[in-house]
Amino acid sequence: MYGEPLWFAVGVAFPLFSSFGFAFLYRSSGASALAGFAVLGGIAVSFWSNVVWSMASQFYWDKQEGLFEIYLVSPAPTSAILAGMSLGGFLGTLPSALLVGLVGWRYFGSSVSPSWGLVGASFALTIVALYALGMLLASLYLAYGRQAESLNDAVQSTVSMFSGLYFPTIGVGSPFPFALQVGVSLIPFTIGMDALRKSVFAPADPRLGLDLLVLAALCVGFVVAARRMAEYMRMKGRRDGTLAVRLR
Amino acid sequence: MGWKRDLGWGNPALGVILRAVAPVASALTAAIVYWYGASQAGLFDPSRLAYVVIGATLYGQISAYAWVPTSAIAEGKSSNVYPQVYLTPSSSVPYLAGRCFASFLESVPMVMVSFLVSAGVSVAFFHSQLQLIITPLSAGLAVLAMVAVFPSALGLGYLLGSYSIFASKFEWAVPSYISGALMILSEALFPASVLPWPLSAVAESLPFTYFMRATRDALLYGSYGAYLVDVGYCLALSVPLVVLGLVAFSYGERRGRSKGFIDRKSL
Repeated sequence: MYGEPLWFAVGVAFPLFSSFGFAFLYRSSGASALAGFAVLGGIAVSFWSNVVWSMASQFYWDKQEGLFEIYLVSPAPTSAILAGMSLGGFLGTLPSALLVGLVGWRYFGSSVSPSWGLVGASFALTIVALYALGMLLASLYLAYGRQAESLNDAVQSTVSMFSGLYFPTIGVGSPFPFALQVGVSLIPFTIGMDALRKSVFAPADPRLGLDLLVLAALCVGFVVAARRMAEYMRMKGRRDGTLAVRLR
Repeated sequence: MGWKRDLGWGNPALGVILRAVAPVASALTAAIVYWYGASQAGLFDPSRLAYVVIGATLYGQISAYAWVPTSAIAEGKSSNVYPQVYLTPSSSVPYLAGRCFASFLESVPMVMVSFLVSAGVSVAFFHSQLQLIITPLSAGLAVLAMVAVFPSALGLGYLLGSYSIFASKFEWAVPSYISGALMILSEALFPASVLPWPLSAVAESLPFTYFMRATRDALLYGSYGAYLVDVGYCLALSVPLVVLGLVAFSYGERRGRSKGFIDRKSL
């Protein structure tokens, strides 16, 4: 992205418009104080879009273009390539996420007094869990991916809704029944967004510590699962002879 | 093969479901944001929930097919289809209109699915019926309003398509810009009066805003006199947009040809 600034304009559109749209919706609903939720969601959705479009489906697209074989014959482990893609994706997305945050906070002027240490911890853990999910999805797309665009659209919008990018989906205020709240808590983004909202808007909330603990556990779990899945899919693909098959 | 090619899946039902998931989730996200905000403020109004669901469903529909000319050119350049279309005697204008219309027809069932799912979810999650007027007349008028806004979306498509002839990467952001602009500027989720000036004035001058109003007149307020007025505004405002789109596209093709962009795959 830093080599081609036009990608910045590509990446910033969706998070900026959606955060402003939902912030205006909060304002028109008589809840101007909650517009900050929409801005925070806009920052998070920048990274989520990057995970879906540039992580999850990347191996699938690389396979279609014949690049994936080059990754496989290189001495690097598959998980290391995915980790490098994560780091690059995060750094590439950071400027657009910062812009959304700055413009949103400036315009909607949420008066908050966050605990920056807790915000940093929540953000770091959320990002690690999110990109670990992206690594896991990359392996799944590689094995079962077909029409990555359709899958991406479905996954992106559904996870955005269930994980509560713009409103709480777990705990007090959630519109979901309890069983569904338990289910959506398995998406690391859900706990991450809950922790981020609490650390920004209610840093004294005693449940924030629990959120961070669960999030840390999810990070470890997803990183381990992503590594194992990458190796498993690679071995399975070699056995079945499908690693270089373009269209199935 | 036609289904498979167009939906990208061998199983048409699976293809349709996958295509319906994103608009349904987007409409529900907007509905939940309204429900959560209004409930926290103690101002929840079921008719306003229906207002949000209608708008959230429809702006996604318009952006889905208004992008088609842009994607048809971008993909057509890489697959060499667009230069072939350009060489035909009637040029690419009717081709893009046909692609856009096909996408419009595909999107109508998605809108219906979105409405049905949103209505069901409203009862389950918000314990509130969507206060929609669903009669053959109101449904017919809503579809008629969708037809009335089609020329505007096509005009917008030509306008963006003229840019796509020269673009290298930015065309992939066009859907986000269209849906984002419509989300904020077309009264999709909230009245234009919420916006600061001059954005509110821009919203009042867009045909898409009157399309939203007309659909709500039919499905929410049952106000058929206002419906006719809003459809009239929508059609009247579509004229300059279509003319502007055609002029821009015609200029874009001429300039693209003179600069060698018509068959250029990467820039």
